[in-house]
Amino acid sequence: MGRDGYIKKIETAARQWEEQVLGPRIKRFNLAESPTRFYSPLNVRNSDFLEKVGFPGEYPYTAGNSPFDFWKAFAADAAKTGYRPDWGGAGKVGKYGGFGTASDYRDYLLRMQSMGRKGGPNIAFDLATQCGYDSDSPYAEGEVGRVGVAIDSFRDFQVIYEAYTGDLDIDKVPSNYTINAPAAVIIAMYATLAKKRGIAIDRLQGTPQNDILKEFIARGTYIYPPRPSIRLFRDICVFCTHYLPRLNINSIGGYHIREAGATHIQDLAFSFANGIAYIEAGLAGGLDIDAFAPRITFNAFGGSMEMYKEIALQRAARRIWARILKERFGARDPRSMMIRQPITAHIGCSSTTLQRPLNNLARAVIGGIAAGMSGGIPGAFPPFDEPLGLGHSQEATQLQIDATRIMIYEAKVADVNDPWAGSYFMESLTDETEEAALAEMEKIENMGGAVAAIENGYMPRCVAKSAYEKQKLVEQLKEFIVGVNCFTSDNEIEVSVNRIVEATYDPERMKTAEDRQKKSLARLKRERNGTAVSTALKTLCVHARDDSYNLMPDIIECVENEATLQEISDVLRQVFGEAQPIKL
Amino acid sequence: MQREVSEMIDAMKRGDTRALARTITLVENRSPGWKEAMQAIYGDTGSACVFGITGSPGAGKSTLTNEIALRLHDQGYSLGIIAVDPSSPFSGGALLGDRLRMRNICMKTDIFIRSMATRGVLGGLCQAARDVVRILDAAGKDIILIETVGAGQDEIDVVRVSNFVMVVCIPGQGDGIQAIKAGIMEIADLFIVNKADLGGADEIVADINGMLDLCTHNGIPRPPIMKTSTETKEGLDALVENLIAYARERKAATEVNRNHVKEEILSLLEREVFHFVREELSGNGRFEEAVEQVLSHRADPYSTVEELLGSFPLYRGMKTREK
Amino acid sequence: MNENRKIRVLISKPGLDGHERGAMVVAYGLRDEGFEVIYTGLRQTPEQIVNAAIQEDVDVLGLSILSGAHLGLTRKVIDGLGAQQADDILVLLGGIIPEEDIPALKEMGVDEIFTAGTPIKDISDFIRSHLPRSPEQEPVIEKP
Repeated sequence: MGRDGYIKKIETAARQWEEQVLGPRIKRFNLAESPTRFYSPLNVRNSDFLEKVGFPGEYPYTAGNSPFDFWKAFAADAAKTGYRPDWGGAGKVGKYGGFGTASDYRDYLLRMQSMGRKGGPNIAFDLATQCGYDSDSPYAEGEVGRVGVAIDSFRDFQVIYEAYTGDLDIDKVPSNYTINAPAAVIIAMYATLAKKRGIAIDRLQGTPQNDILKEFIARGTYIYPPRPSIRLFRDICVFCTHYLPRLNINSIGGYHIREAGATHIQDLAFSFANGIAYIEAGLAGGLDIDAFAPRITFNAFGGSMEMYKEIALQRAARRIWARILKERFGARDPRSMMIRQPITAHIGCSSTTLQRPLNNLARAVIGGIAAGMSGGIPGAFPPFDEPLGLGHSQEATQLQIDATRIMIYEAKVADVNDPWAGSYFMESLTDETEEAALAEMEKIENMGGAVAAIENGYMPRCVAKSAYEKQKLVEQLKEFIVGVNCFTSDNEIEVSVNRIVEATYDPERMKTAEDRQKKSLARLKRERNGTAVSTALKTLCVHARDDSYNLMPDIIECVENEATLQEISDVLRQVFGEAQPIKL
Repeated sequence: MQREVSEMIDAMKRGDTRALARTITLVENRSPGWKEAMQAIYGDTGSACVFGITGSPGAGKSTLTNEIALRLHDQGYSLGIIAVDPSSPFSGGALLGDRLRMRNICMKTDIFIRSMATRGVLGGLCQAARDVVRILDAAGKDIILIETVGAGQDEIDVVRVSNFVMVVCIPGQGDGIQAIKAGIMEIADLFIVNKADLGGADEIVADINGMLDLCTHNGIPRPPIMKTSTETKEGLDALVENLIAYARERKAATEVNRNHVKEEILSLLEREVFHFVREELSGNGRFEEAVEQVLSHRADPYSTVEELLGSFPLYRGMKTREK
Repeated sequence: MNENRKIRVLISKPGLDGHERGAMVVAYGLRDEGFEVIYTGLRQTPEQIVNAAIQEDVDVLGLSILSGAHLGLTRKVIDGLGAQQADDILVLLGGIIPEEDIPALKEMGVDEIFTAGTPIKDISDFIRSHLPRSPEQEPVIEKP
């Protein structure tokens, strides 16, 4: 029997099933439609395995980027030796953090290192720094050193790195920076530091977030309007490709877009639209696609409890990006076509609940299973006490690590690559996800691309509306969240656990950070060579007005002469203007 | 007049911002005492120059308003800004977001910004806007800017409260100025092609010119067209110079003003008469009775109206004279 | 005759924190509850917020803060309102607010704190039942 005959036979059987089995049951319960779905070969009629899935590590990477992840090679040894990951990071990347002044954070890092913590810097900057203000700006009032460390000038940057010498020197461990609008300044500081230490800058590794477009859609720490922001990106991209080839250029944030309320389709489409804009900027800077595309990375798509959808999303994402790079941009290097991201599927912090918080452990495990089934480490992220807003406790972190270990070693979740490959359901859901994302991307393309779709407010408004729609579904009991809008009666009991919050940052230092930082900034302004600063800033200003210049050398010159982050940002504000908030 | 109201108006005239804001609320809500308040301030009005800014959504009106206001303020003018956004027809609520585009000016002491919702009051928005303009005028603002989406008749009516209307267009807006609602072309005193840095600005200038060729006739002054960009600041200084020149030359009693006064008196009359009639009819139960009649097809609505009005001597007299 | 009465709410984000989801959802939600919502967006200084609240003559001021800077920023806003004799404005706070800060915030003059997961209806009910300012709370659209 040929394929056609086979399909016909199933079609007949499907009709019969619907009429004789499904239909009566729906009727019996008085329903309008079936509350469940069933998938058969009819749902994936045109599925060509090699074209749509392929083997792990082969185009279009639906089944994964590699035959097995590097950690699988060490998994058994890690269990035998009791290896404890420096959680929050992967490999040599250190735990994400930052507070107070540079010396506060340096001291903290040194203390952590003395307790055995390894890994490179993974720096959180305070909001003033992220928005291009110095600690003495009125905008910085109350924000200095709060959600991250305050960096006003190269001096501060250098002080943090006093914790990274020897085995942890900058040619040995990577540096991660959650920085977007002032990314050029921070990268310039990194390059300057290498120079001062006598380390060739082409040995520098790490990842600046440097994803400015998503700041307009989510997260909100933008400075300049989208167009000049893309010019700055181009300059970073070209400069890094030529001189810092081991540094990733950016980390495109589907995560933030989703957390801001986007649907999974918007998450995919908007991240890729932004990604395309970055790729185009690199090409416009005269780069060959394969020279820089491998250094474009992603920061975890996903973020919901719907594990089937999240797995399909990961599969579709790898396929879409690979095709865009190969077919649209003519990439030849497989590394250009792969989505590099630290984690795959996950539930996102916004899936956790303040109510009955220990339930978040169950939630995170489901995210971990989805991750393990979609090509990533089955990590139980985030720790259950995430929504309590006090930092993660040692207990929550222990439970998180153990849950991950249970998924890896006992449940063997990650022992099979793409275990869903060939599932009628999953292949069909992957196709649907891909189609919907491509349709949304086409809409954006027709508007003129990501930049235009930010300028006209389309992407940010879509995300805000989706967030509101989601809220309405929860309030109207069309979506259920256990312990929040259902199962909340007095019969339910609160399960509590002892919780010791890790003594992260010294509260006394937090309190005085702003004053101390302002004082050291004032000292810097007294001590530095004022003429050199203004000369460097002037050159930057002149070159900023001319789109053909790459501004990175000028920014490095400013940094070397101890111009402050705000002074540099102000010059660019003056030339580029400031971004407008988006009207709802 | 209630004492609190008169005290509030005195405070407002002395420059008290809170009193100004509260007077606007009182009048906008038609709360008890609003009419007396308007009567009391009318004598202090008439000196402010009122500019209307309208155009399709996304034309950059708020940002442009921000830039214009900033420049006028730098030249020493005190300003009132009214930003109008539509109310939701479903909930009656509104999301008023223009203020967020005005961050450069929102802290200037001589600039007062007020967001206003259309509130779905048929024909009432124009009067409400006019009232707020008067209050700002009486509070001593030299120039008042009214910004609104040129989407419906209501919004068009709002800008007609102004002495001078700017219609903002942008390049690449679908079929160009077709997007601009009919009725707006006729009231424009100036066309602004905003976002001129985006390219395609000359095409839209040509489009507007083409349209003006069709609809301006002999004797009617042809509104000029200016190009601006709030990104590159192109054209903004020139635009503001024009506005200032207009404000200086403006004659107190032009034909346009006469029409405004006529319109206003008629619309106030209309509302008063309507209220009067409604109150009278609802008081004696005749209205409900008439509804029943029409419902059961014993009477038609047209004759019913004549009959209802027949109970007013003034109307009876008019009908008798007609015959 | 007070047929046009509307409750006006200002929703604002003080400080540099750019997480806007909660503020936007509340803005949309309160609009759909029939309020007139003035949305000022990100990066507002306490002075700007007080100024906007006064000019817009709002009944309610909603602040959203997720950066941990809520104690200082809220204090400044409330002091600013007090200085303008505008302490009759209902002040609501949302965002990531640790339990132990709530007494201090209430002491300072915050009328209520709504953290993540609060249904919009709870917020609108709270507003309707706590407004001291108006004899006629129900928004009424003029009858045709």
